[in-house]
Amino acid sequence: MSTVIATPASAEHKQLRKARPSFFGLLRAEFFKVLHQWTTWILLVLLVGVMILPYLIEITVPSIKDQIQQAPLHFFYNEMSIGLSIVRVFTGIFLLIITARMIGLEYQLGTIRVLLSRGVGRLQLLFAKLLTVVIIALVLLAAGLVLNYLLTLILVSSKAGNLTPFNALTSQFWSDTRTYILTILLNMGVTVLLATTAAVVGRSLSFGLSAALVFFPIDNVGTIIMQLAYRLTNNDFWLSLTAYFLGPNLNVMPMPLTSGRAESIGASPLYFVDEAHKAHGVLVDGTHTLVVAAVYAAIFAVTAIWLTWKREVKE
Amino acid sequence: MTETVMTIPGIDKVSSRSGETVLRIRNLSKQYGKRLVVDNLNLEVQRGEIFGFLGPNGAGKTTTIRMMLGLIEPIAGNVEILGKDIAKHRAEILPRVGALVETPALYLYLSGRSNLRVVGSALGGVPKSRIDAVLELVGLQHRQKDLVRTYSLGMKQRLGVAMALLQDPDVLVLDEPANGLDPAGIVEMRDLMHQLAAEGKTVFISSHLLTEVQQICTRVAIIHLGKLITESSIEELTNGRGEFAVTLERPQEALALIQAQEWGRSARLDKDGVLITPAPDSRGRELNLFLVNAGFVPDTISQATQDLEEVFLRLTGNGSGGVQ
Repeated sequence: MSTVIATPASAEHKQLRKARPSFFGLLRAEFFKVLHQWTTWILLVLLVGVMILPYLIEITVPSIKDQIQQAPLHFFYNEMSIGLSIVRVFTGIFLLIITARMIGLEYQLGTIRVLLSRGVGRLQLLFAKLLTVVIIALVLLAAGLVLNYLLTLILVSSKAGNLTPFNALTSQFWSDTRTYILTILLNMGVTVLLATTAAVVGRSLSFGLSAALVFFPIDNVGTIIMQLAYRLTNNDFWLSLTAYFLGPNLNVMPMPLTSGRAESIGASPLYFVDEAHKAHGVLVDGTHTLVVAAVYAAIFAVTAIWLTWKREVKE
Repeated sequence: MTETVMTIPGIDKVSSRSGETVLRIRNLSKQYGKRLVVDNLNLEVQRGEIFGFLGPNGAGKTTTIRMMLGLIEPIAGNVEILGKDIAKHRAEILPRVGALVETPALYLYLSGRSNLRVVGSALGGVPKSRIDAVLELVGLQHRQKDLVRTYSLGMKQRLGVAMALLQDPDVLVLDEPANGLDPAGIVEMRDLMHQLAAEGKTVFISSHLLTEVQQICTRVAIIHLGKLITESSIEELTNGRGEFAVTLERPQEALALIQAQEWGRSARLDKDGVLITPAPDSRGRELNLFLVNAGFVPDTISQATQDLEEVFLRLTGNGSGGVQ
């Protein structure tokens, strides 16, 4: 340690004295941190790999050529549904991990006290982190869409020998694609809020990450458990309950919003009509899925903001 | 709530000191459940002071520091730094305060330099030259590009201090700054504290290294069970209680004689056989005269001093729980 004290030059001294915590400074710091973690890049490579995988499989399937030539619109709906479902699910997982790490690590390493004890506001810090994740999510979505589009171009041109099948695309198709993209954005928003809440509640990376990652598997598997409960009790309550699970609602959301033209992957809320034409469970429509997602998002947001704002920092 | 400050003869009261008050803690209290961890604490620290904040484990030091930095809320009282209430002017005042609370909190996956860059950016921007300067100041310029997870505890501590100094703060709050430092590092840290104080910066140190505190600090406060036990200059605290140390022949006989006097009941021999005694009218000259008249010619008479550890242990009731 040098014993010669470093007194800043007067201009620098003035600048240092005037400096105050700033939102954009925090944003820069958050980007710097997230881009300097190996986890981010490893996850990104995995994400790109998962997005490319279905196209690699399709390119080896001989019947694809016939599908493109005989029913091009159906083929493109199918491609759009698969591609965007993968974007939805895997960008969701990516965002869960990135968000939980971004917030959880700050608590776990205790660095939150360094920032707060220098005048950074609690909510200022939380919103800077959230905006960072939102920007990452938007970039990720844009990159995912471009990648899917390019891969579809390659697939079609390699199988059909030209790009004329694209002429079959209707304005309805593009409208449905936009609706699907909107559901991905909603999915991303709720996912980010879920991971934020988990990390804030647990004030640690390990808790935040675990809680965020098991949430969707649990409520997806929950539909199977509810089905079992229905079989055992013969009570519709168990089926109806699944209409309020977050994961199944997010899974099914693109279908009612595109009047069934687009498809999605994952468990959906349980509903069926028996031989006596009696309905069991709740048939969810687009509005229902949006309301359920909005209610969960509001609960997550209020919990995260309230705890961040009011809870003492003992890290 | 009544204030229970134990006063020591000859110690100035806070109000009688001069100079600009940089840190003022008024009636600060904090309760966890039914336990009052900080109880009506009052403190004042002047500009340029190196102020030691001492207390056994669980005395409430870290809780007080956390309240000073706005990390936790008091149930009563307030903290003023640079003349402004921290609860109302947090964003304005805290950037002028550099803090190292408990173990250094660092981004382990970043290099030392990147840690400073990230914190500097969050705090509104710090020039590269300043980052270079603080890295050199704490002796980490050669390891600045290494990941912090490869640093020793002492290096992390140095980086924590560099982070605290990044914005050239007016007030430094350091919780155990010598943690993990080797003896040379401790000496350098001591020099650094002195130089910062000479520049007009105020340094508030919580430490368990009482000999270090004795060498570094100008004044100290001792708290125990959340209450302020004493607040005084090191000199006044270690000067004893107006007692004198006398070396002479036949100390046992002299002790018996003195203890028989009204003023000398607390006289005693220390472990080296030196007679520690009050003086008639609290004057060394009168003590000398008394001893000579009684046939005990002193070899030396000097003001009795205690080291800070003795004072600490006496004031905190032998420091149960250890010194923190």
